[in-house]
Amino acid sequence: MHLHKYEKIWLTLGLGSLALFLLIIGFAAFWKGTHPQSHIETIDPQNVEAYEAFKPENLGVREVADGKYIVNMVASAFNYDFGTDIDEKAVKTIRIPKDSTVLYQITSKDVVHGFQVAGTNVNMMVEPGHISRYETVMKNTGTFTVVCNEYCGVGHHQMYGTVEVYE
Amino acid sequence: MGKGNPKQQQPSQNESSINLKGTFISVMLLGIFILIAWFGLYALFLSR
Repeated sequence: MHLHKYEKIWLTLGLGSLALFLLIIGFAAFWKGTHPQSHIETIDPQNVEAYEAFKPENLGVREVADGKYIVNMVASAFNYDFGTDIDEKAVKTIRIPKDSTVLYQITSKDVVHGFQVAGTNVNMMVEPGHISRYETVMKNTGTFTVVCNEYCGVGHHQMYGTVEVYE
Repeated sequence: MGKGNPKQQQPSQNESSINLKGTFISVMLLGIFILIAWFGLYALFLSR
C-alpha cells in the first residue's frame, strides 16, 4: 500500500499519542495505584451510622494531624450533613486553613448525588452503598461553593454548602 | 496490452502527485490545538 509522506507523519503522531496515553493509564493504575473515588468499599445506605466515620458525632471537619484534616459528610435528598456545631445547629460551612491536606469522605443515604467543590479539583459522584473519598491539598484561599452535580430530585438545586479556605 | 497498462497506472500516478501541503498544514494546526487544550487543562488541574 502506498502512503503519502505527510500521511505517514500524521498517522505516526496519532498512533504515538494513543500508545502514550495507554502507557500513562497503565502507569497511573498499576504503579501509582490510582482508582475511581469509590474504591469498591461498600456500606449499608439504610444504616450509615453503623460506620465509624459517618456516626453523627463524627461528621464535619476533624484535624487528625498537623495540617491534616478529614471531612466526613453524609449526602441525602436534598442536604449535605456536615455535622452540628456547639449550639446543635447544622454546619453549612467547612473551614480549612490554607495548604492543609484534606481527605473528603462522603456517602449517600438515598439516591446518587454529586459532591463538587466548585473551583477546586474535588469532584466526586456519591453513590448509595459506596464510600467516596478524595484527598487533596487546599492550596488556594477563598470561599468555594459545594454543589450537587448529579440530578437527585426536585430539590436538587437547593443542595449546596460552602468550603472556606483561610490564610 | 501495451495500451492498457499506462491507463491502469494512471490513477496511482495521479495519487502520488496530489499536493497535500494544505491538508498537512490543517492537520498540524488541529494537532497543535489539541496539544494546547491538553496542556492547558493539565495546568488548570495543577493550579487548583
